[in-house]
Amino acid sequence: MNIDKNIKILLVDDFATMRKVIKNLLKQSGYNNIVEAEDGVEALKVLKSEKVDFIVSDWNMPNMTGIELLKAVRADSDLSGLPFLMVTAEGLKENVVVAVKAGVSNYIVKPFTAEVLNEKIKKIIEKL
Amino acid sequence: MEKYGSLMNLIDGMASDFLFIDGREIDVPTAGKLLNNLDELIKEANSQKVFQLKNVAGGLNSLLEKTILDDIDDKEASFNVLEKGIALMQEIGESFKNTNGYEGDIESFMESIVALTGDQLLEEVVEAYQEESQPAETIEEIQDDSLLRDFIVEGLEYIDEIEVNLLNLEQEPENLDCVNAIFRPFHSIKGVAGFLNLETVCDFAHILENLLDRIRNKELSVTSRLIDIILDGADALKALIIELKENMEGNPGEPLEIDLPALKKRIENVEQDVSDAVEVKRLGEILVEDGAITEENLEQGLEVAQELTPPKKIGESLISEGKVTPKQVSQALRKQTKQVADTAVIRVNIKKLDDLIDMVGELVITQAMIRQNSFILSNSDIRLSRDVSRLSSITSELQRTSTSLRMVPIKQTFQRTSRLIRDLSRDTGKQVGVVTEGEDTEIDRNMVEEIYNPLVHMVRNAVDHGIDSSEERIKAGKPEKGLIQLKAFHRGGNVVIEISDDGKGLDRDVILKKAVEKKLIDSSQDLSDQDIYKLIFLPGFSTAAKVTDISGRGVGMDVVKQAVVKLRGKIEIDSTINKGSTFSLGFPLTMAIIDGMIVRVGTERYIIPTTAIRQLLRPVKKSYNNIIGKGETINVMGNLLQLVRLYKIFDIEPEHKNPWDAIVVVVECENSSKTLMVDEILGEEEVVIKSLGESLKNSKGVSGGAIMGDGNVGLILDPEGLFELSEV
Repeated sequence: MNIDKNIKILLVDDFATMRKVIKNLLKQSGYNNIVEAEDGVEALKVLKSEKVDFIVSDWNMPNMTGIELLKAVRADSDLSGLPFLMVTAEGLKENVVVAVKAGVSNYIVKPFTAEVLNEKIKKIIEKL
Repeated sequence: MEKYGSLMNLIDGMASDFLFIDGREIDVPTAGKLLNNLDELIKEANSQKVFQLKNVAGGLNSLLEKTILDDIDDKEASFNVLEKGIALMQEIGESFKNTNGYEGDIESFMESIVALTGDQLLEEVVEAYQEESQPAETIEEIQDDSLLRDFIVEGLEYIDEIEVNLLNLEQEPENLDCVNAIFRPFHSIKGVAGFLNLETVCDFAHILENLLDRIRNKELSVTSRLIDIILDGADALKALIIELKENMEGNPGEPLEIDLPALKKRIENVEQDVSDAVEVKRLGEILVEDGAITEENLEQGLEVAQELTPPKKIGESLISEGKVTPKQVSQALRKQTKQVADTAVIRVNIKKLDDLIDMVGELVITQAMIRQNSFILSNSDIRLSRDVSRLSSITSELQRTSTSLRMVPIKQTFQRTSRLIRDLSRDTGKQVGVVTEGEDTEIDRNMVEEIYNPLVHMVRNAVDHGIDSSEERIKAGKPEKGLIQLKAFHRGGNVVIEISDDGKGLDRDVILKKAVEKKLIDSSQDLSDQDIYKLIFLPGFSTAAKVTDISGRGVGMDVVKQAVVKLRGKIEIDSTINKGSTFSLGFPLTMAIIDGMIVRVGTERYIIPTTAIRQLLRPVKKSYNNIIGKGETINVMGNLLQLVRLYKIFDIEPEHKNPWDAIVVVVECENSSKTLMVDEILGEEEVVIKSLGESLKNSKGVSGGAIMGDGNVGLILDPEGLFELSEV
């Protein structure tokens, strides 16, 4: 199955440098259609104003954390089916389980390579 | 039976979810759904006392969690077990529904789960998971300079944020928002550092992040020790990032002087609630480490050394046994001392320190009393004289050292003030930069808090009234962004703190007008610029056009003045209109000791702080003038300085009544000088200031008492108060 590399990916992270890092990795995997948001609140604004195909979000952010964003997305009937890839800092067991239970599509542990990222995105999209 | 209906619904739901999984592997969203169902099932089964069901569901829950966490390699097997488990639960449910019980055996099934999950401890699980999840191949592909540059800039900003929030946390130790606000930047720094392959930064940020996480989870409580450690940690992290920056810019600075292992040890200690003891390796251990001897040699050596009478030290006994050379032992000994030197910082309760300094003060006095004892003075024993003079040099050295123990750099006060300026600039919408200088200048620890409040007032005034708005600044040809400078330095026995702004400057006409309006002065008074500036320290004076949150209720500056005077300090103002103002606060270095000149008036002795004395002289008759309107003056190098007859102020009988028979001390205070008339100068001495007690606390002209060398009490004169008294 061929993955459509033109899907619009919303990248959410409060640390600008981290957004740049992940953006570079996404581009290396061939994804060029990327919009960014600083935190959950910003992300929801973006989601309201434009059509997004995929969310890559950090967990730990001010104002609205990744998990709160995830819950908000899943609770919104227009958005509930959106693929949501959570970026976590470490594989803290409890954290991952919380995200999984909240309905995350998959998660990825920092630091990661372009291949791992691509693999995770592929896995999620193939299941759709 | 309807009774177990809810259980059956849950199990059947899971079974149908399971049917739709394609392939033989569980994907994350399905696992999430199953986990939620299992949670609910466990709760339900527990409340309906279907314990077999609860156990199976619990086992499946743990299996599923581990599968998602990639702890189980054989995904196929776990899929199979899960499939079986769901079928087993359906069986148990059915059986309960029909017979209100289940006779089957779940043991073998539970064993098949354990076979997959193993008996791993939680910690091991997490660790193994982390190892696996961190790809071995490095991430050089994204390591480029622009990213590193961004990281440095953003990282440093984040650390500033951490510092501010730490101070907030110190104020409100229970505030979880503060903890989170500190946790997050550490966390982000760690994350990016991981991508950029900055191992040291990543590791260290990780340690700090963990520490914060434990605070967040209420495993550790917020103490000032903890705050100190995190502050030091943030400093170290900052230093690491700055080092990166310097290396990247191609001009590496001095090698870093931070001791990361020691800091890590302190973090470990605070986590385990152990005090930071200095650990010194034993000589034998060092010798073994150096490879000079083996563990066995050491044990034998220790035995031998103990059996000997008298027991020898391990080094000696090893040498006499021929196991080591004296050189090896001396090298090891040197290492041992160096260890002590490297880590020789201990924390001491400030109360103990204060007590020590007090006791040393008493010792100094007693020592002086001994020295001036008539028996000692008249004795002809050279040895006794020598010992006494040695005693006094040791005591004064001891006094200097003990006082220095309480000295701390002003850095932290400046940092707090800088942050305040930043916040204020945001609140007022004015752009203000801060430059600090002389952060290493030391002041008495006990003065730090006392100095901070007046500083806050002055800084608030500088931002609110001093710095002009961007438009005004551009019009005046100044850079759009205002600048506040904080400087500290030592001058004589004083520490001086200067706060300068490049704002509007003080407008003497506006101040004068205001003061007349408020009836603080008489319009006919002829005042110098300095005198006019000082009007702003009068109670009830405010030049702010409108009252703001920040300053401008007209209480600020007189509070500043009071606080400074309380610390025996003084304020000077220098201002140029449209160029800015400089407020300089001068404080004595320490509140405990004063360098004084002992003078005699009649039979009384007084101490004049040496810092205030400019000159001592015996005036010639013609330099004395008594001019109507100006009073008695002495001409000191062309300046007519007012003569203050101390005996009149203190109402005692002097030896001399003519200035040309007596000695005058030129004393400077608050930009003006006067001459104090005394009978004799007895000498100079460092005295320990003693309070005169509550009832005499507010006596003008006298700031305290001191026990002199001969055991009598001398009063310490307060020049400012004397000047005021002399003007009445």
